[in-house]
Amino acid sequence: MKRFRRPTLKQALTALSLALAAGTAMIGAQAAWPDDEAGDPVMVRKLTEAQYRNAIADIFGPDIKVVGRFEPDLRVDGLLAVGASAVSVTPGGFEQYEAIARGIADQVTDDAHRARLVGCAPGPADRNGARCAAAFLSKTGFKLYRRPLTAAEIKQFTATTAASAKELGSFQAGLSAVLAGMLSSPDFLFRIDQPDKDGKAVDAWAKASRLSFLLWDTTPDAELLAAAASGKLDTPEGLAKQTDRLIASPRFKDGIRAFFTDMLQLDGIDNLSKDVLIFPAYTNSVADAMREQTLRTITYLLVDEDRDYRDLFTARKIAMTRLLGPIYDIPVAKEGWYIHEFPEGDPRTGLLTHASMLALHSHPGRTSPTLRGKAMRETLLCQQVPSPPANVNFAVVQDVNNPTLRTTRARLLAHLDDEQCSTCHKVTDPLGLGLEQFDGAGQFRTRENGELIDVTGAFEASGFDGAAQLGRLFAESSQANACLVRTAWKYARGREPHGADSRDLAMLGADFADKGHRMGALFRSIALDPDFYALVPGGAAQMAAAGATHKEDTP
Amino acid sequence: MAVALLAALALGGADSPTGGEPGVRAFVLSNVYIASSGDAGACPVMADGGLERYFKLLSPEERAQYASAKDPSKIEQSKRMPLERAMNDHYVFLRVAIRGGGPGGAMPQAILPEGFDPNGTPTPQDALAIGALNGFPEGRGRLAFAKLTVAYSSCTNPEDFPELGEGFATYNGKIAPGIDLDGKRGKEDFTGMTGAKGVDNQLWRAVGCVKMFRESGEPRIAKKTFISARAPTIIELRGVDDPLNDDDVTVNVYAAADAVTRDGRGEALARASFALDPDTSLRSTTHGRIRDGVLTTDPVDLRINYKEQIIDSPRQFRDARIVAKLMPDGSVEGSIYGYYTLASYWDSIEHMTQNGANLTEVSCAGVKQAIDRLADGYKDPATGRYTAISAAFDFFGVRAFIIHPERQASAQ
Repeated sequence: MKRFRRPTLKQALTALSLALAAGTAMIGAQAAWPDDEAGDPVMVRKLTEAQYRNAIADIFGPDIKVVGRFEPDLRVDGLLAVGASAVSVTPGGFEQYEAIARGIADQVTDDAHRARLVGCAPGPADRNGARCAAAFLSKTGFKLYRRPLTAAEIKQFTATTAASAKELGSFQAGLSAVLAGMLSSPDFLFRIDQPDKDGKAVDAWAKASRLSFLLWDTTPDAELLAAAASGKLDTPEGLAKQTDRLIASPRFKDGIRAFFTDMLQLDGIDNLSKDVLIFPAYTNSVADAMREQTLRTITYLLVDEDRDYRDLFTARKIAMTRLLGPIYDIPVAKEGWYIHEFPEGDPRTGLLTHASMLALHSHPGRTSPTLRGKAMRETLLCQQVPSPPANVNFAVVQDVNNPTLRTTRARLLAHLDDEQCSTCHKVTDPLGLGLEQFDGAGQFRTRENGELIDVTGAFEASGFDGAAQLGRLFAESSQANACLVRTAWKYARGREPHGADSRDLAMLGADFADKGHRMGALFRSIALDPDFYALVPGGAAQMAAAGATHKEDTP
Repeated sequence: MAVALLAALALGGADSPTGGEPGVRAFVLSNVYIASSGDAGACPVMADGGLERYFKLLSPEERAQYASAKDPSKIEQSKRMPLERAMNDHYVFLRVAIRGGGPGGAMPQAILPEGFDPNGTPTPQDALAIGALNGFPEGRGRLAFAKLTVAYSSCTNPEDFPELGEGFATYNGKIAPGIDLDGKRGKEDFTGMTGAKGVDNQLWRAVGCVKMFRESGEPRIAKKTFISARAPTIIELRGVDDPLNDDDVTVNVYAAADAVTRDGRGEALARASFALDPDTSLRSTTHGRIRDGVLTTDPVDLRINYKEQIIDSPRQFRDARIVAKLMPDGSVEGSIYGYYTLASYWDSIEHMTQNGANLTEVSCAGVKQAIDRLADGYKDPATGRYTAISAAFDFFGVRAFIIHPERQASAQ
């Protein structure tokens, strides 16, 4: 099995430093690093593409376009949030960051935005613009780096602005070059946590970042930064107040969307393709709408309605838009999104029957009970399913025109004659076969090649007949419940739990149950847990060592 | 019950249990087109377009300037534009833009009547007034090109240019698509495509040798073509107990307010939702029956949208019957047989504009003379002239959902 060794933090940051130095040399700015006196960083997490975009929109406004391709985020142990702790940027990825940064910096300093976003210019009282540069870079750097800039940093950036302006022929060009450098800096691209004075927990700035990225999936807002600056975030009351404010905000939906996008691996829809001759109703626009549908449904049920997480598996309500009417075979009267309710007894019930889930875990031209079952096991039950060996003969399964094996169930049964395959298929396929009434694009059907589809099966010793009943079993499953708690914990911490974390997880699970399985309560408990901000015993070294055992591909 | 379920599965088996109202089936039509007889040998000479006719009227010396080197009886492709300009100059065709220089920006701006709002919707009376102010012959001036221009040409006033319609070739084959609309066997009647006698289809006799109509009527081409996709027609069947055999279903024909979209294959997207056009004159209701999966309706007057590029001219059929096969994949293929009113048919030809007619090799004057001569339905007792012409149109459609106004209102 292929493995990779995760670099230590020091190795990774050193490599980045070199890359940054090469990159910023071209634009006349220099890398900014934490001062020596601030100590070594204790944990570094790369911003995901979504977090990067959210941060730029929050800092500069939604009219600043983030144009360019991002290096794909890395999924480790099922989550991008864990992959973000692996801290890796290739030289190609850095070039992409730099190009995006230049585009943003050019917009911020252009004629259309300068007055609002820069707010000053060289003048008689500030002939070379040093004061303007210092004010702008100090203010903007505070937002970008999620901490105050040191005096040395401000001095360095201001001097570089002047030098760049001279070289490039204008103050704005110089300012743009330095801003691009800041946007390419590890201090922006990575959440670099620093220890507090006692060295037992992260400092207030890191707390603000952890809280904000967990609950809003974006950079801390002014109030949260102010709470960090005043020290209030270091008090239990202050932390609770900010946590409750963030959860009560409409932006908590963004945090929940980000969490479920990661947990359900809905980012995979970006790379999903279907055979349009087989699924003509499927287009890229439809695929985007499928993902949006699932996320809107989740936030509607779990945030707007504050319902029990388990209801997600049994809810007949679903976000709907006209674009998805042909997939769900229903008339859609409204323009825009609305909440549609399927009638009692409809097979289209719960998350398992969302077109996003069904299409995502299918092949381009046919369903895959194996992929669907594997996804359910891994993402919803936190179980490990080994990957197939390289020499498997899929001929029987892939022959959809076999005149004697007309259904997917029949073909898979034939495939199970191979003992080497049957062990894993017995784990995955029964669940996936329960969803066979939905084709590879998520459209309902009752027959396959003219034969009635059998959707009976068993899960956790209970029988089911169809997706709706399977959804009910998931809702009642303690494993599904525990998996959500574990995944949320991993998402927040950016790492797999170790043995010492099991008590913490058990308490979190019990608390989640006590509070009615509400997502707001779960995230509140995570955010208020002192361990969320505590330094891992042994510091960065232990984390790096733990990372070295991560497998590149989930078995 | 079981039989009905199996029948339902046979006719579009992907239906979900909640796929719209029970007993209701609706289809959005991606193309409604003049049905072609398909018999290639029936037109030994194709009907001349207006430009081709003008070319033939030129003196040999003039004709040589525009003739193809390979075949001097044909127009050289690269000379069509100069020839069209010469034709416009010769007949003093006129067109002026109501606003903004007109389509393409190369048209003279019209002198407009006092108080006329160029951004409003002009009326035929406005067009006459604009014609009078801009040097048009007396009583001339018609709206053209999506009502952006006022024009005078052989397409707006074919009666002024009879020589352009002389020698127009009509269809003299024995076979034509259609049905016996009048219940009589006349000498003008055709034999149908499957051998039925007494078929009335004088429109095909009039234009069955026009290249454009023959090509657009080829099912292979028509199935891939979207016509009036931005304002499609919807056929709704209500009270369908059994989609294979049902003695009585209500058939509604509506104009949709939403456009047909293409699916991943480039064909009409099935099971999309459509709101209805509020214009109630574009709605009709009749009854029908289904036998072995084929719907046949009672006669009904239809007014269906025809909006395509520069054409916006609803088609009006009198005494129309819809015959449609409900296909196993949930789509529909069928025909509209009836009397196409001359006024609405001519309106669609007139909307083509002279330039459009030249491009598609249609002779407006020839078509006008032919339909006036061959019309066979709804005689006006005052004039003694027929006002409609028997016709056969085919269509393709896919399953759709209709959002009825009351449902749309409650949804909002």
